[in-house]
Parts: sequence; C-alpha cells; structure tokens
Amino acid sequence: MIDITEIEKLLKNKEKVNKIEFNIVLKNFLRKNVQKNNINDYIGDFPSFIEPVFLGKNIKIGNDVLLGPNVYIGDNSEIGDYSEISNSIILDNVKFGRLFKLNNCIVIGNSQFNFNNCSVEYCILMDNANSRENLNIKCFK
Amino acid sequence: MTERKEKNSERVIELESRRLARGKNRELIIKTHIEIQRNNEIIADNINKLLHEYNIKSFDIVGAIGAGKTAILENISHRLAQKYKMLVICGDITTRIDADRIEKENVDTIQINTGRECALNAYYIEKIIKNIDLNKYNLIFIENVGNLICPAEFLLGMDKRVIVVSVTEGEWVIEKHPLLFKTSDIVIINKIDLVERLGTNVDKMLNDAKKINPNIEIILTSAKNKEGIGNLISAMQL
Repeated sequence: MIDITEIEKLLKNKEKVNKIEFNIVLKNFLRKNVQKNNINDYIGDFPSFIEPVFLGKNIKIGNDVLLGPNVYIGDNSEIGDYSEISNSIILDNVKFGRLFKLNNCIVIGNSQFNFNNCSVEYCILMDNANSRENLNIKCFK
Repeated sequence: MTERKEKNSERVIELESRRLARGKNRELIIKTHIEIQRNNEIIADNINKLLHEYNIKSFDIVGAIGAGKTAILENISHRLAQKYKMLVICGDITTRIDADRIEKENVDTIQINTGRECALNAYYIEKIIKNIDLNKYNLIFIENVGNLICPAEFLLGMDKRVIVVSVTEGEWVIEKHPLLFKTSDIVIINKIDLVERLGTNVDKMLNDAKKINPNIEIILTSAKNKEGIGNLISAMQL
C-alpha cells in the first residue's frame, strides 16, 4: 500500500504552501516509491520509458506516449495518446485525454480530464473536467 | 561551420525515407524533418556544453544487435569503475537486460525503453541529464539501440561516437552502412577470436572503414576473451 499522507496534507494546505514545499513532497514521494523501472504490467502499444517509471496495476497507455524519468502512475489510470509525463505522480483511477504534457505535477486520484492538449509544470490537478477552462488546478510559481 | 555540423548537414541531405511522402505532403514532411533534426542538434550541442561544464567525458556506443556493445561496456566498466565515476545509459526497445548486466560491474545505469523507436535521440538524453546530479559522474556512456541505420540520424551530444561491429556480421557490414561510420570516431571490430573459423575478410572491413571515414580509429577486440580492451581504453583517452 502506497502512503499518500504527505500528498493529502499538501492538498489540504495547497493555498498556503509554496513551490519549494510542493517540490519537497513531490520529490520525496518519487524517491521513496520510484527507484527503478517497474513497467511489467500495462495495456498499450510500446510506449517509451525513461527510467525510473513505476506503473501500478491495470494501466492503459495510448500511442506514442513518453513516460519518465521519475514517474509514478497508480492503479487503473489511463494516459492519452501522444502524452508526455516526467517528474510526476498520477494517483489511482486517473484518466486524461491526448497530448497532456505534465512535468513536476501531482494528479489527485479519481480525476478525469475529458479533453486534449494540456501542458503544465509544478501543478496539482484534480477532480473532473471536460475542458481546460474548467480544470481544477493549483500551480506553484 | 564546424566539421561536425557539416557532417550533420550532409546527413540531412542523405536521408532517403522522406521519399515515401507524395504530393503536398512531401514539402511539409521534408520541412518538418529538417526542423526535427535541427532541434535534435541544438539539444545535443547543449548537452555537450553542459557535460563539459561538469568535466564529464562522454561516449555514444552504436552498433547492430549482437555486435557486442554490452559486452564491450561490461569490460570497460570492469576496468574503469574504480578510476571513474561512471554512468551508463542503455537504450533498448524494451527490457532492462543490458542495464542489469552492466550494473553488475559496479557502475550506475539508467535504462531507456524506446518502445517503437529505433534509436535514442538528444531529447531523451537531455531528460536524463537534467534530472540527475551531474556532480556524481565524470564519465558517461550511452549504449544506443541496436541497429546500424537509425542512430545515424540523431547525435546525442556525446564527445565521441564509437561504433561496434563484429566479424560475425560479415565483411560487407561496413560498406553497406556508410552513414554511421562517417559520423563515428572509433570503430571496434569485435569477436576477432572467431575470424579463423568464419573466414571473415577483416582487411576489407579495415579498408572500408578508412575509405568511408579516413579519420576513424580502428580497434580489434574480443570482448569475450577480454582482448583489445586496453587498446580501446587508450584510444578513448581514458
């Protein structure tokens, strides 16, 4: 069982924390849970992986996806075509569309983003959204 | 224009796969392809500058599947792991087999699985370089994906490119793959212990390499018997 206590605390205090504090939580989680590749079990057509990448169970990955380095993807998540994710945590049951480019991000569990094209850095993404405009997102500058 | 940049421009002109595109698409495809090549070269230049800032020596090892790239790197790592702080980046379509082999020689490894892509590119390497502590290393090797075609298109920002061929590939292997030899600095002719049994014409391989690239340095090795590794390390100035 993965411990997400620090991420939950971060989420609770997201309006108070700064970029450095966000980065510490992100990096500590990745350091603890993503050391080498764990990519044995996924559904998809040969994406590219830059070590280290951790994939949970029942992950679906679209075409021409690049994951890594330092990526954690929780159980039952779906990554859209042509997406690129690095230095990020995607928790369980997350689904997003094509062309998502996430670097240094945390996506909270059970989030669904039913749209394409989203490029963000140092952000927390959460809840459900059908467009970029409706996305519940907190970015740290 | 530097000698390496001239070589790169030459490579762009020589690429033939763009001929698949027809009609209006052709111009767009060629333009896009040249743009991608330029981007790769800019990233590669930046990688090289960054590695120099940290006094890191770097090598891109290319060659066909089974030529002996991993075995050569195992030998190099075995000899140099005490002398240098080494990182080996391994490129493969899938699996961590090569990285696991090299790691046994007490050097750090990072695996890149390219999925459907037949070569590493500078963008992948930049992703790694920007996310590690470069103070930890003073020697980086990249073992490229095994083939003699695609890696020619993408420089990775390493100081030197070393190409490994083996006598089991036959004496025509160099003549048939000139592009990669043109852009390499050292050619290793490996599995030299099998020459007598196979009857491979090594002289032809030597002549072809020099004809294609007069400046290329040639080293004969048997990674299995650990022959020629000292010469290779000297040629690499390590």
